[in-house]
Parts: sequence; C-alpha cells; structure tokens
Amino acid sequence: MWESLSLKEVVDCANDPYPSIRQWVRDTGKKVVGSTIADVPEEVIHAYGFLPVALVGTQKPLKKAPAKLPDNACSLARSNLELAMSYEGDLFDGFVLPQVCDTTQHLSDIWRINFPDKYVESFLAPRQADRPSARYWVKEEIDRLIASLAGWTGRTIKDHDLQESIKVFNESKALLKDIYAIKRKNPAAVTNKEMFAMIKLSMQVDKAEFNQSLKKIRDGLDPNGKAEGYTDVIVVGITCDPLEIFDLFDEIKINIAGDSLVTGTRYLQGIVPENGGAVDALAARHFQRGFYSPIHDDVFRNFEEVKVLYKATNAKAAVYVHIEFCESEEYDLPDLKKMIRKEGIPIHVVDTEYQTTSLSHVRTRLQAFFESLRGGAL
Amino acid sequence: MSEKLTSRQLSKKITDEYMDEAFRAHELGKLIGYTTAISPVELFVAHDVIPIYPENHSVANLTAKKGVELCSVVEGMGYSSHLCAYARSDFGYRATGATVTKGIPEPDLFLACNAQCFTLTKWFQVLARKGNLPVFIFDTPEYVMDKKTRQEIVKYCVIQLKELISFLEEITKKKFDYDRFGEVMRLSAESSILYKKFLDMAQYKPSPISIFDALIGMAIAVYRRGTQECVDYYQTLCDEIQAKVDQGIGVLPKDKEKYRLYWENLPVWFKFSDHAKLLGSYGGVILTSLYVHAWSFEFDLTKDPLLTLAENMVSRFSNSTIEDRADMATELFRKYDMNGMIMFMNRSCKAVSFAVPTLKDVLTKRTGIPALVFESDMGDQRFYSESQIRTRIEAYFETLDRLHLNKV
Repeated sequence: MWESLSLKEVVDCANDPYPSIRQWVRDTGKKVVGSTIADVPEEVIHAYGFLPVALVGTQKPLKKAPAKLPDNACSLARSNLELAMSYEGDLFDGFVLPQVCDTTQHLSDIWRINFPDKYVESFLAPRQADRPSARYWVKEEIDRLIASLAGWTGRTIKDHDLQESIKVFNESKALLKDIYAIKRKNPAAVTNKEMFAMIKLSMQVDKAEFNQSLKKIRDGLDPNGKAEGYTDVIVVGITCDPLEIFDLFDEIKINIAGDSLVTGTRYLQGIVPENGGAVDALAARHFQRGFYSPIHDDVFRNFEEVKVLYKATNAKAAVYVHIEFCESEEYDLPDLKKMIRKEGIPIHVVDTEYQTTSLSHVRTRLQAFFESLRGGAL
Repeated sequence: MSEKLTSRQLSKKITDEYMDEAFRAHELGKLIGYTTAISPVELFVAHDVIPIYPENHSVANLTAKKGVELCSVVEGMGYSSHLCAYARSDFGYRATGATVTKGIPEPDLFLACNAQCFTLTKWFQVLARKGNLPVFIFDTPEYVMDKKTRQEIVKYCVIQLKELISFLEEITKKKFDYDRFGEVMRLSAESSILYKKFLDMAQYKPSPISIFDALIGMAIAVYRRGTQECVDYYQTLCDEIQAKVDQGIGVLPKDKEKYRLYWENLPVWFKFSDHAKLLGSYGGVILTSLYVHAWSFEFDLTKDPLLTLAENMVSRFSNSTIEDRADMATELFRKYDMNGMIMFMNRSCKAVSFAVPTLKDVLTKRTGIPALVFESDMGDQRFYSESQIRTRIEAYFETLDRLHLNKV
C-alpha cells in the first residue's frame, strides 16, 4: 500500500490518508489505534500488532464537536474530536489519548464517554520534566499502557516484540532525517510541503511499508546537490496545518532548514536507543525530545532551542506557527517573541486554525515578512 | 472581657493580619510563595513560607469591575483575550499597579498545582520569567477511575511532595519540621471539617446560606488553612449559621424559597450581587457548586500526612473525570434537595468549562431537571451580555414554574 510512493503521491496521501488506511485494514485484517499528539509511545501499540495512527485533525467541516467543546477550545482538539465523531471513527478499534494540558484532559473524558464501545485509554504525561519523579512517572505510564493493552487484547508482549517495533520506528525516523538533511542543503530536491507531508504520513501509516518508499526517495536524491536563490528559515511551534501552508514557503523559495514542530523534527528526535531494556529506553526518549510547551517546566528552554537551531541552520528568520486557542502557546508567545527579537532574530507569527479554508491572510502576511527579510519585492 | 468577634469581623482581622505579615515577610525572615488556590499549602505553612494567591487578588479587582481596564492593557502586550481573566488582570496589575486593594507582595518562589488547572502553571511561568524565580510544579495526573491507577497516581504525588520539601529546604536553607507539619495538618483537617459543615448547612429549608455566602466564606479556607485562627473562624461561622437555622431564618423566607439551585463553575464576579437579587426575585437560591466544595478536604490523620495530603489534592473535582464530577454533583442534588441548575460556560476557566456540555447532558438525564446554560466570562465584562443572560434566566424560571405547576 505505502511501499512505493513517489513524493507527489506522498503529498496526496498525507492530505487524506484515511482511504488508504481503510484499504490497508481490508487487505491485512489488522486493527487501528488512534492517538492525538504528543508523546504516546506508539511503538507499544505497534508491538501489539496494531497500526498506530497519529490524529492531526481534519479540514472537513465541524458538525458534532462544537456541542462537546466550545469555540474557545484548541482548534486541533475540536478538529480531532470531529474527525472521530463524524468522519473516521468507525475505522478505529481504539484510542490512546495523551493528557498534556487542560484541554487534552477533558478531551480524553469526552472521547471515552462518546465512544463507549471502543477501547479508550489515557496516557497521563507528566506536566513537569525536570525532576526525577517525572522519569519515574513516564516509566509507570508506559508500563500501565502495556498492561492496559494486554488486558484489552488478552495478549502479552515481550521485550523482544517491543525492540522489533522500536527498530522499525527508528528506521523510519532515521530515513526522514537523512532526507531532511539533503533538503536542507538542496531545497530544490524536496519541497517543504513534501518534507512535512512525509513526516506526517509516517506518523499515520504502516512504517515497515512506508520505510521502503522513504528509502527509494532518499536514494533517488543527490546528497551533494545544491540549490541557489533560497532563503533559509526555521519554523517553531507544535503543528503546521494544512499542508498548503508549506506551499506559501515553496512558492517564494523559502527553505525550512530546521524546525521544532511536534509533527516535524521533534518527532524525528524520538529515535530510541536499541541497547538496554525497551521500556527504560522509551521512557528516556520522553526527555530527549525538544521543547514542548505543555510539559516542560524550564521556561527558557524553548528560547534556547530556537537560538541554537537558528544558528546551526544559519537561518535568516524564525516563523512561529501558532494554533488558535492553544493556551500553552499563548502564555509563552509574548515573552518568546520578545526574547527572540532581543537576540536579533527576525520573527513572524502565523496564526492558524484547523478548519481554515482560506489561506489568503496567511499568504499576504508571510509574503510581506519575507519581502522585508530580503530587503525588496519578491 | 472583650466581646466575641463576629465571623465577618474575624475574617477581616485574619485577612488584615495575614496581609500585614505578608508585606513584612522579608523583615520577618520569611519568604513569599505564590501558589494556586488548590495546593498543598500545608507544606508552606509548616515551613514559614507565606502563601499568596494571585487569584484572590484578581477576584477583588474583577469583582470591582476592573477587568476590562486591566485586561486591555495586557492584550496590548500581546496576550490573547482568550486567556484566563484572573491571569490577564494580574498581568495588568503588574504592568500598571492599578488595584482596588493594597496589592500583593512580590513572590520569591512559585508552587503550581495542576489539580486546579494548568493555566496557573503557565501564568506562574510568565511571572517567574520576569525575575528568574524558581517554580515547583506539583503535577497531579487526572484522577482516573481505575483503582490501581489511582494508587500509582497518589504514589507519584507523594514522591513529588517529598521533592517539594527538598525544594523548600534548599531555597530557605532550613530543615523541614515534620512535627510542625503534623500539627498544621491537624488544624487543616479540623478547619476543613468545619468548612464542609458550613457549606452543608444549605441543606436546611429554607437555606440559611446561598452560594454567595459560601463564596465569601471560603476565602479563609483557601489562604489560612493550617492555622488555629482558621479553625476559630469556621467554628464562629458555623455557630452563626446554626443560630439562623434555629430561628428559621433563610436567605429567602420559607414560603418564598421555590427553587433550590445548583451552580456549575466559578461565579461571574462582577455580577455577584446582581445575580443573587435577580434569582431571589424568582424565588431562586443558588445553594452550592462543586467549586465551593473544592476546599472540603477530608484529611485522614491516621495516615501518613503526605499520603492524605496527596490523596486529597488529586481527588478535587477539577482533577476528576467528567463521570466522577457528575457523581459528585448528583450527590449534592440529593443531599441539598435541589430542583434547578445553572451551568455557566466560563470562557476564562477552560479547566472547569470544557466539562460543562457533557456534564449538563449527564445531570439533566439523571435528575430530570432542566438546565440553564449560558456563556460568559467570570471577570471580563466584554463577554457578558446583560440583556441576553437576563432573558435566559427569565425564560428558565418560566420553564421551572411550568414544571412546578404541572407537578402541583
């Protein structure tokens, strides 16, 4: 199903992966477990023989979710709830939902109440990450998830099963990192949209199959190729949707040379050490990933990471993608912007909302920003 | 012999002395710790850290209708109008110094307990950034319904309370006194029992108190828990309310008390007295809410104090599943014999409000009582539509009247 996709096909599939997932389920007879972002150890779900699918909203209209979550709730949370309630709910046999903020905490409850016939489990992520107790708790939660899935399926898994899943997932992330490294130097080879479509799709489809596509794509790229006329920037935030936003960068030759997105580099940072116990390694991974506003209590880490990324990529500016009504982002953003500007880094904030149908306002503002960055008309 | 103070006089005396001590904290060799209204503050009290609640200060300003003025300043600083009005008005106070009180002392450290909400954590992080001050996040995972998981959650929380003690010892360079902590817990347990007794007096018919009395009465439980004066205050308050009960004095006279109402969420602070009057004119008295019961702690002094403290923090309504919240509210309906409910969708408080649509569905189904749902904000008047809300309240009482007549 996903073993020989071209870059163009990857983009098409990432725009709406559900028809292909449905076909895959029919072909393989396997079951599907959905998770909202972030930080559910998907390798555990995979080790039980399920297809873990990251839920990252829908562009289809909201119908049922507004009656459950008001309009000042994070638009990604509402969009995901709609996705499950109106469009793709029947595809999933179960859900593992991480709790990282007030909204996701309620979302878990609402989800469980609305899907009484499905398996719904919460992953209670710690909302502090700097103390020993956080490490203790993540391991407890991974162990609890393993036990919960065992209770649901009536099966048990061994460390070896988990290691096998980790290998497949690690390979996927390593391939994506390779491609990202080539794209960084040679943006003409892989567009921004194609890059982030690959990462997004890798979070939603069978990795063993998709890795074959990724290998072919990587091997078909010239690692030494270079492209002229591009301006490098970094992208900061949680998610950047819809994928068409990346067109706005591509159209005017803006190269995303680095990012901190949960659906981007932060996901790729999740390569798990393959030596030692699998659960310990998965727990350690939780703390190796980059900054994520709802879980990190080191308030300056976000800024430090932006600074390091900006310098390492030799970027000319930072673009912050803000999801409307994400409270965590909204408390951090004014100070973060100030710190970034004080450091002399040009920054532009893009406000996004799931279910946005027109990107014209984003286009105008982004173009104006890049124009000023390049010191003239584009 | 001096005359015994009334609860109101006592509350003022306790508050004045508390704030006076807080403003002189450094002189007295003490530190100021900002904390959340739901927090294991007993550890602060036992360690001579004076707890200050920026939320309480925000309530004073929002009740005095300073919300728009303070919030507008903050929005000009780049903060979204979607954020909690407590937080926005606090940032506004810090930017302008405008307040209807004497203000609050500056913090030395922060303790954010997310059993209340995650907003406070983010709010405190903003304040901490200004002075590069230490923040301790007491992370309380949702108290999910599975028994075994609950035990694990409590264990995790006990570990964190021990980390909190080390954090305090490190900052103050002072050893934590467990004997003193035991005494603070004893006082806290005692005052919590009295506080709950006070709230539960709304069971009487007519009810001697409304939720508005409860909201005023709860303040001491929030900021002076763990002290003898807190126990004395609630004893006095209970005695006074009992005297009203004995004389048959209600918020409304017995023959006028038609509707005994449940309120979901925090109050609309700047409409506090207006709402009491308006509802009263229809024979309605709001008796209680899960919110005021958030400080009805049930500390078990036979247990390890850290264990009972952790158990009580994680099991607050605001950290419970919607199913458990519904059970807690249903129990209040039964106990207080309520026949109406007002569900406030508070734009400021996501931690409480995002449960409201589901909670309303469950409660109306279970009790058969219709609900009035309205959306507004607890502190930002720009989100309050007077005529719309008044019309809805009127329509709701008409519905209740109709149901009432049909029953008769």
